[in-house]
Formats: sequence, structure tokens, C-alpha cells
Amino acid sequence: MTDHLDTQADHQLITKVKAGDQRAFSKLVQRYEQTVWGFAYKLCRDKDKAEESYQDTFINVFRKIDQFDGRSKFSTWLYTIVANNCLMKRRRRKLEDLLESFDDAPDPEDENVKKQLAAWDDTPIEKLLHGELRETLDDAIQKLPDEYKVVFVLRDLEHRTAEETSKITGLTVPAVKSRLRRSRVFLRQQLHEFMTS
Amino acid sequence: MKPHPLHKHLFSCTEVYAHLCDNLDEQLDSESCRQIKAHIAGCENCTALLDSLKKTVYLYRKCPVPKLPSRLKSEVFAVINVAKQKKKKISHR
Repeated sequence: MTDHLDTQADHQLITKVKAGDQRAFSKLVQRYEQTVWGFAYKLCRDKDKAEESYQDTFINVFRKIDQFDGRSKFSTWLYTIVANNCLMKRRRRKLEDLLESFDDAPDPEDENVKKQLAAWDDTPIEKLLHGELRETLDDAIQKLPDEYKVVFVLRDLEHRTAEETSKITGLTVPAVKSRLRRSRVFLRQQLHEFMTS
Repeated sequence: MKPHPLHKHLFSCTEVYAHLCDNLDEQLDSESCRQIKAHIAGCENCTALLDSLKKTVYLYRKCPVPKLPSRLKSEVFAVINVAKQKKKKISHR
């Protein structure tokens, strides 16, 4: 119900923005700025780049609002714009090289892997997040190819459904699921040394 | 119809990995998901793998996002207003 009311409120604002109402645009920005900021920061992992993405996103929204036809949720359209803005800022990387390491998923039946799968320590998270762990987390996610990072952030950090993530990224739902699984495993592998040392 | 690979025999750890459900915490109620859950419950390695995957996601969720700088919104409107004025000038020519 809330979702429906949100969509209705969005559409009313968007109609006004399309008619040139700048106050309506201001309200629309206010309504979504935390979403845009949070998503941009989680993707870029850099405050300056997130600021640029925030600005580019809302300027693009203002310029392209006539192209929003209301068939999808406004938030879906917005997430697509943020993702495109963030990704355009990075040079496209050759996926193939990185995907090789993705395919090295742990085989829990392998004896060497068994040794590695010791449970991670229960060090208090808050303490860890202010130290080296924070850097390790940032470095690890930056190593993910963009298309994987977007899926991980949307699904696991922004709590978007597989269906909505599919609409935002243009991937099929099975591709979203596969990328999510590979991203999690890749990140886990990247953090493993830190967590077990 | 070809039987689902998970129904043919008891799961190996590799198969469990390959079929790890999309949502690590979801209520698993399909037959194959129930079997995966049963395997994980009795397998130390799969439990450790699943726990570490959950912890990975948890750590990223716990990473703080800096506060949104308040000046950003006014900067967006400044750019938009400049663009609007330029557009007006062009249409008056």
C-alpha cells in the first residue's frame, strides 16, 4: 500500500516537473537525494566521485524527465541513471581476466580448501570497520567488475529484488542471481586473508 | 522431464555451492532448498562457507556512508538555472 502511495506521489510530482514546476523538482530531489547519495557512495567508494554522481544524476533527471514514461517505478529509473553515471566514470575493464578468478569458486571438497574454510573470527565488527578492514572492504569491492558491483550493491546493500535489479541493469534474472553469487564469493575470498590472520 | 540434478542423489558440497540460494537468509521451502539446508546443517565446511558469505555481506552493510553534503542540492539547482537561462537566451535570438 505504501509502495502504491509512493508511486502515486512520484507520478504527481513528475507530472508537475514535466510542466516546468521547479518546486516540484525540488521536492523530488528531496525525496530521493538520500537514495541517490547512498547508492552512488556505495558504488564509487569515494566521496568526491559520489558527489559528482549525485549532481550528474539530478541534472540528468531534470534534462530527461520527459523520457520517463511511468511504466517502471521512478526509483528504478533513478537507480539506472546513478549506475550509468558511476560506471561511466570508470574505464570499462576487461571482464575476461577478472572472470577467471570468479570461476575459481571454492570447492569445499578439496582438502586445501577445507583448511581455508575455518570459521572467521568473531572480532567486534564496529572495531574492525574503523581500521584496516574498511580499507580491505573498499579494495575488494573495487576489484569487482562494474557490472558485478552494481548487482551486489543493488541486491545486498540496497535490498532491491532480483526482478528490479534485472530492470535496472538490463540483465536477465538468472544472470543477476549468478552475478550476485559470484560477487559474494569473490568478495569473501578477498576478505579471507584479513579475517583469518 | 529430466530430474533436477539435486534430486538424483545426496548432495555433494560442490552442488550445494552451485545452488546456494539467491537470498542467503531466505525461508527455504522448496524441496531442493530443504535438501540443501539439510546438507549444510550436517556439513562443517558448507556451514563455514555460508557463514563467511553471510558475514561478508554483513560487513558491507555495516560500512558507514558519509553524511550527504548540504551544499550539493543548491549546486544542482545552480547548474539547472544556468542551463535554463542559456536556453532562454537562445530562444530569444
